[in-house]
Amino acid sequence: MRINGQVYNLGLDNRTSLLDALRDHVGLTGTKKGCDHGQCGACTVLIDGKRVLSCLSFAVMNEGREVTTVEGLASADDSLHPMQQAFIDNDAFQCGYCTPGQIMSAIGCISEGHAGSEDDIREYMSGNLCRCAAYPNIVAAILQARDEMRRA
Amino acid sequence: MNQAAPAPKENMGNPIPRVDAGLKVTGQAGYPADLAVANVAYGVLATSNIAKGRISALRLDKARAMPGVLDIVSVGDMDGVDKPKFGNTGASSIGPLHDRTIFHDGQIIALVVAETFEAAEEGAMQISADYTQETPSASFDSAGAEMEPAAGKSPLFKEDVNAGDFEAAYSTAAVKIDQTYSTPTQHHNPIELFSTTAMWQGDKLTIYEPSQNVTGWKIELARQLNIDPVNVRIVSPYIGGAFGSKGPMTARTAIVAVAARRVRRPVRCVVSRMQAFNTQTYRAETRHRIRIGAGKDGRITAFAHEGWEVTSRPDPYVVGGTSATGRMYDYGSVLTRVSLVHADRNTPGYMRSPPETPYVYALENAMDEMAVALGMDPVQFRRINEPQKEPIGGKPFSSRSLINCYDQAAEAFGWSTRDPAVGSMRDGDWLVGMGCATAIYPTAAAPCAARVRLTADGQVRVQCGSHEIGTGVRTVAAQMAAERLGVDIDKVAVEMGDSALPPAPVSGGSISTASVCSAVLKACEAVREKLFVAAAGNDGPLAGSGNAKLDMTNEKVVTETGKSAKLADVFKAMQIGAIEEYAEFAPNGSSPEALKKLYAGQAEFHGGDQDKDSVKYAFGAEFVEVRINSYTREIRVPRMVGAFAAGRIMNTRTARSQLMGGMIWGIGQALHEATEIDQRHARYVNRDLQDYLVPVNADIKAVDVILVPEVDHEVNPAGVKGLGELGNVGTAAAVASAVYHATGRRIRDLPIRIDDLIT
Ligand code: FES
Ligand code: FES
Repeated sequence: MRINGQVYNLGLDNRTSLLDALRDHVGLTGTKKGCDHGQCGACTVLIDGKRVLSCLSFAVMNEGREVTTVEGLASADDSLHPMQQAFIDNDAFQCGYCTPGQIMSAIGCISEGHAGSEDDIREYMSGNLCRCAAYPNIVAAILQARDEMRRA
Repeated sequence: MNQAAPAPKENMGNPIPRVDAGLKVTGQAGYPADLAVANVAYGVLATSNIAKGRISALRLDKARAMPGVLDIVSVGDMDGVDKPKFGNTGASSIGPLHDRTIFHDGQIIALVVAETFEAAEEGAMQISADYTQETPSASFDSAGAEMEPAAGKSPLFKEDVNAGDFEAAYSTAAVKIDQTYSTPTQHHNPIELFSTTAMWQGDKLTIYEPSQNVTGWKIELARQLNIDPVNVRIVSPYIGGAFGSKGPMTARTAIVAVAARRVRRPVRCVVSRMQAFNTQTYRAETRHRIRIGAGKDGRITAFAHEGWEVTSRPDPYVVGGTSATGRMYDYGSVLTRVSLVHADRNTPGYMRSPPETPYVYALENAMDEMAVALGMDPVQFRRINEPQKEPIGGKPFSSRSLINCYDQAAEAFGWSTRDPAVGSMRDGDWLVGMGCATAIYPTAAAPCAARVRLTADGQVRVQCGSHEIGTGVRTVAAQMAAERLGVDIDKVAVEMGDSALPPAPVSGGSISTASVCSAVLKACEAVREKLFVAAAGNDGPLAGSGNAKLDMTNEKVVTETGKSAKLADVFKAMQIGAIEEYAEFAPNGSSPEALKKLYAGQAEFHGGDQDKDSVKYAFGAEFVEVRINSYTREIRVPRMVGAFAAGRIMNTRTARSQLMGGMIWGIGQALHEATEIDQRHARYVNRDLQDYLVPVNADIKAVDVILVPEVDHEVNPAGVKGLGELGNVGTAAAVASAVYHATGRRIRDLPIRIDDLIT
């Protein structure tokens, strides 16, 4: 499996979810567990560019795939991805626990073409719960990042 | 600047981005279950599937035989460990592995420890038990539920109130209502799962666990394990949402510590979402009867609020929100009574504005009904009953900007465009309703310690054992230090969430900003004092400036007359490299033991209705527009406006976010949240995030937060009123008021669902 551009050869229990593989076996704990049942979105990662709930995917199913987690977003010089910066600018979190999942999902939402309007963003980001309820700020952040990503 | 960063008004600090924002958007913020631990074993809980009875046989053999299972801790394995205590730091007196009694559904019966999470999970599934069952009492109306008066059962709820002659005033009132209201069971459901990681090094125990009270837990855990508190350390650097759920320590912490001691390696137990519903606390269901009598002029002459709350069989958990509702308006007479109903349930606990959310909901819904009965505008009705002094003890408010909040929120909302006639406003297929309600939250503070170090290069380190649960307390502590020590905020590092740091009170009751900032302020003042003495001293760079008032800015000590000395030069004159000060803050009126109690993990709260001279509350006014589809009765909330006054606002960005989050919580309380209970089995039915509804992004549109300037020097040295729990008070009543306005349906039992509105 390639994770954030790096190849990992992992020997795993075939019951291990991709989420647990990332957190417990690779040491990438940026991806969060909020339910383990596909109900909260905290574990969202990109697999071959598409957003996936990593708690609902066995690690072994992803052999040979390219997984991107929140740790893989910043560029080599450590400068933030426009989505990360937009989340900071718009205070799109409080506790920050849902945030990695929100950010990955937001990037997926834009690349799917579901960030055309505020209503679209609200709808297509509704799989990512934020109990701190930063929703209006999350929408504002996605609008900001969308425009910057388009310009880039 | 964007919406997230409102321009500061009078007595408000800058909307500086959170100091930990970079860590949070890159996945580097370490929540307790993220912290790497070498050679860790995994623990998974097994829980009971009955609510009342005794375990007659526990079958562990199959689990023990599972590959990878290392050990099982179960009933009878807690020798030498004291039972948990119910109280400020302990969630419940139930020690699930101390005896075979089952007090509630989903009670812990064992912890399976294995090499891997998968093996532990599979092991836990293999555990079964035989029980002698009894019929459980699920809630208020169940056979066997026991009712008792709440007064005196908890140190937090001393007595009911009988001020003035309610009965006489009510019986002669020209206009009156007598109604009942109810709120459902709710679970906090922070997105971070609950977890405990325990590791021993010799006789020293370290716990990684999301906690709102690291000092309290250290003391309580040491008591349970019969070890010296100096050997216990609780580490909780970032907390993934709390809302009260991580305030009291549960029985799990000691169980995981025991397991780690037995297997001689660290054990990490992450509790499943489903098991958390029964092994953590929650907001219990409440019922209310409210009677209000008023003259034709709208002046209230009689107010009675009776409340009933569910708690567990053994523990008298009470919220008793009549303290706030009884002081809200200028009632001529006040009568309150709170009762507890014991059922076979896990013990409830604090959940965001524990007393105010249910009680003020009931009061404000009743106020709206009264306004209708009087034929009066609901804002005007509140204006008429605005008190000069609180009506129970006759004490003044240290400050009260409620009417100001109403004025500003009403204006921003466009309240004047509302046609008061029920069902009169429509937009195509949608019925439009507008409603409002008051928010109130007591302002308190508790003793707190902090250590501040300033070095010659202008670096500042603030240490305080408080907790970053998402409120931004790290950021406001950094702001306070940066402001007082005249350095850029980037030069301030804040350490929190560790019981090895100077103790802070539980992060509950919206006291953190006031308590932490007051302690940090005090430590900074001591640092300043030392620097000023040195700077103006004979050998100092500002020698000869006499008694001129000094200040610090831009890494300089400056005089009123414009002279200045670089920090580095003052330190040079002092021939030292750093100044470190440890300060202990105790609010006015604290008992002589208050600081001692702080170190013992007990927070002595001051403020609210507790002080002699005045009562202290923060207020707000919330306006909501609902749209109800005339065919499907779908309920939407396209916009809401809240105006809040809470003394000094340290940071308009974090303040707005907290209030906004609170208002959205209020939407959840009004329209979504309810833990459903199977009455036959006293069992929660919807124990996951699919069926326990919380607001999602698509439920929320425009949320406008107005910060109303307010200065209050009486509350605490920082002048800060807490606001983390203010935003969600009143919202549900505002929604109920708007639903009534749209449809003519008065819904008194939360949540308001489509089926309540279908004819
Ligand atoms: S942890 Fe995967 S959706 Fe919640
Ligand atoms: S920021 Fe706390 S859950 Fe979203």
